[in-house]
Amino acid sequence: MGAYVARRLLQMIPIILGVAGLVFVLFTTVGEDPVRVALGQHATPEAIAELRALWGLDQPMWLQFVDFLRQIATFDYGRSFNTGEPLSEMFRQGALVSLSLTVFPYVLGTLTNVSIALLVAYYRGSLFDRFSTAIFVASMSISYLVYIIAFQYLLAYQAGAFPINGYESGWSGIPYLLLPWLIIMVVTAGPDIRIYRTVFLDETRADYVRTAFAKGASEAAVIFRHILKNALIPILTHVVIGIPFLILGAFLMERFFSIPGVGDIMITAIHNGDFPILKGLTVLIAIAYALFNLITDLLYAVVDPRVQLS
Amino acid sequence: MKHSMTGLLVIAAMLAGCGDGAGTPTAGFDGDGPKIFYDRRGTAHKTLDPPRQFDSASADIIMNVYDTLLEYHYLARPYRMAPNLLSELPEKQEDGKTYVFRLRKGIHFHDDACFEGGKGRELVADDAIYSIQRFADANVNIKSWVLLAGYIEGLDDFRDKSRAVGKDIDYAAQPVSGLRKLDSHSFEVEFTRDTPLALFPFAMTSLSIVPREAVEKYGEDFAQHPVGTGPFTIKRFSRRGTMILARNPNYHGTYPAEGAPDDAENGLLAYAGRQTPFLDEVHMPLIEEAQPAMLKFRKAELDWIGINKDDFPNMAYKAEDGSFHLKDEYARLYHSYVEPGLSAEYFSFNLRDSLWRGEKGKALRQAIAWSIDTPAFIELLSNGRGLPMATIVPQTIAGNENDIGFSYYQQDREKARQKLAEAGYPEGRGLPEIHFEYRSATKDARQGFEFIRNELAAVGIRAKANFNTFSAFLKKIESGNFQVASAGWAADYPDGENFYQLLYSPNKTPGPNSSTFNHPEYDALYEQIRSMPNGPERFAIFRRMSEIIKDEVPLLLRFNGLAFGIYQRNVRNLKRHMLVEKAYKYLDKVGSPVL
Repeated sequence: MGAYVARRLLQMIPIILGVAGLVFVLFTTVGEDPVRVALGQHATPEAIAELRALWGLDQPMWLQFVDFLRQIATFDYGRSFNTGEPLSEMFRQGALVSLSLTVFPYVLGTLTNVSIALLVAYYRGSLFDRFSTAIFVASMSISYLVYIIAFQYLLAYQAGAFPINGYESGWSGIPYLLLPWLIIMVVTAGPDIRIYRTVFLDETRADYVRTAFAKGASEAAVIFRHILKNALIPILTHVVIGIPFLILGAFLMERFFSIPGVGDIMITAIHNGDFPILKGLTVLIAIAYALFNLITDLLYAVVDPRVQLS
Repeated sequence: MKHSMTGLLVIAAMLAGCGDGAGTPTAGFDGDGPKIFYDRRGTAHKTLDPPRQFDSASADIIMNVYDTLLEYHYLARPYRMAPNLLSELPEKQEDGKTYVFRLRKGIHFHDDACFEGGKGRELVADDAIYSIQRFADANVNIKSWVLLAGYIEGLDDFRDKSRAVGKDIDYAAQPVSGLRKLDSHSFEVEFTRDTPLALFPFAMTSLSIVPREAVEKYGEDFAQHPVGTGPFTIKRFSRRGTMILARNPNYHGTYPAEGAPDDAENGLLAYAGRQTPFLDEVHMPLIEEAQPAMLKFRKAELDWIGINKDDFPNMAYKAEDGSFHLKDEYARLYHSYVEPGLSAEYFSFNLRDSLWRGEKGKALRQAIAWSIDTPAFIELLSNGRGLPMATIVPQTIAGNENDIGFSYYQQDREKARQKLAEAGYPEGRGLPEIHFEYRSATKDARQGFEFIRNELAAVGIRAKANFNTFSAFLKKIESGNFQVASAGWAADYPDGENFYQLLYSPNKTPGPNSSTFNHPEYDALYEQIRSMPNGPERFAIFRRMSEIIKDEVPLLLRFNGLAFGIYQRNVRNLKRHMLVEKAYKYLDKVGSPVL
């Protein structure tokens, strides 16, 4: 197991290098020129040159890339072009805020969605199954933005059941998070339940299910004792791979509810051409994604003894 | 399960507790408690270090925490200067280039740990000189230096030295010949030439007065620890949450005793002479999206909001006489204001392009000018919120079209066709497709071009739009690789010169003269107005310059926008000022809003 983990960690190095290279090329050649965005249209050549020098953009490309790799290795991404804030602190604060927005609905939503999917799969082919499938497909067809706008207007403004938007630290912040949590759970319910239902139905066609029935096991026992356990691998994949994106937050949600998380930092950085933020966050997400991929594989071995890590 | 859910809530709350402490108001009106004004920030500020400030979100906060030597009179229109930290407007000396600045005595900086005993010390002339030097320091100010470049004797040399010496430059060891201390509370500034424009930079937020002690104590983090003499202090610093400003009880300012003719009738002089500020706190939550901001305003959780293009038709209307009103159901709840902006929208013709050369090119530009119905554009695409421009100077600035009596092109398709024929393209035959460059691909840009395309097509001119990224747009403009560009100019200061310089030939690209217009008579006239005060003589020159612009059409004037906004009925003294956008020190709240 140790050798496997070490090998996978080593394999991550070229992946991260590839991502770093791609991010660097994209942001330095394709995107907006951050200096021109910062100085506006009628900047003097002197001001342009000075700001380029201040931000290190007057250095040769290869030197800028080497500096970027140093930042990745040391996890010190310097300061934001636009605000001068240290990025490590900015990312830390933003990630914690984003997690407070996403973790709770992710956990509760996953538990709820798996349960509902199991229930729907249990009643497969029934009117309940068809009706709920239609509801979930319809809910998937509606844009995330529509949910936000409608829920904010109806539940927060009209009904007054939640604050319209805002964010507070500590316990007093919970009321501000309730509506975003509800929306995240509603939005993810449709696609998640559809996936989990399909996973459960695939399992019901497996040989071991037929064998269990042949041995006289009840339908409930087969579903909860056998199918649920065997369906865990694809569910685990779906759940664990989604974890890195919790840090990134739900940027639309953060914008509309004024939650100062990483998603909002990212969108603002895109508007302002704040390269250090964009480069840093993209690489951090790539690293997190690769790590959680590894964790998923390790968990396979935990939930399914047939899986050998070699 | 119940326990695990409670646990999750606890974890989430703890995580939230590790956030930046950003806050959002939960109540929108005040009873007998502290007077709190709630105002939205649409974008996060970038820096609260004055000379590094270059964005309006930062200026909105800086102007409330710091003070400038001069300021714009809150009520007077057209806009004019008034002393702020000074006891009177700077006194011009006989040489015409030197001004004496006298500071008011007894003004103190906010209490802060940077001062001995934490007690804010008195503002003195050294602070003003230090702040001007810091504004010119190349290690500090890259973005806004251009506004003072070449204005003060010796200051450009000081900037060069600061660049050579680096961050450790000692200001005291590098005196500026044009900045001379007279006594503890007065100093003189020697400008490089006699110009009426010399004093405008001293009202800019980026030239606010800062204490040396705070800059030295906080270093790189000074922007997060503002220490000024302004009407408010920072109670909570939160870039992406809610900034909270608290009243400076020792503030030196008073409410203006005079204003525009109808200000008394509108109740805007009821506080005349009273010490400012009147509010105890200002809460400024960051709300980037329009919908939640409007919902919060309607719940009285915000006190003031601008009305965007999409909300306007639902809430307000333009009457036949051109005035703007809230619909009845809203007029009962809110007050509204309308105020002309200090900007000009126009199309810039690239005169280096072969299409526009010679008399034929001029006739083609005139044909385009006769083709477009700007008032219809404003009605259709801006809810009628704009004023067609006849001269390049917006109507709230002295020397505008009303002052000089001038008219511009009104749509006349017959004349457009005649000019098109004169240009050698009768009915548009033989005329290649004309390319219009836009700096973004927003819905407004696309709709705006569709209107223009239809107008031009009606006389036989075919047009195509390129919706660029901002950087790509700049590259095209600066390399001269464009035919027509959608452009605009927002006033740096309220003087006609700031707009007429857009066509001064030395200001050619990358300066603001994107057309690269080169007209010797125009240049000579511009050089005259630079050193003249407003008056009939200057306005006569403005008129001649406007005639040249109309005849040559280096740019096609379009309109300047009208700001329209609403505020709660319990807010007092709100008069929209286009140069001092967040003048919280003059505002007050009395009683509760109407719900």
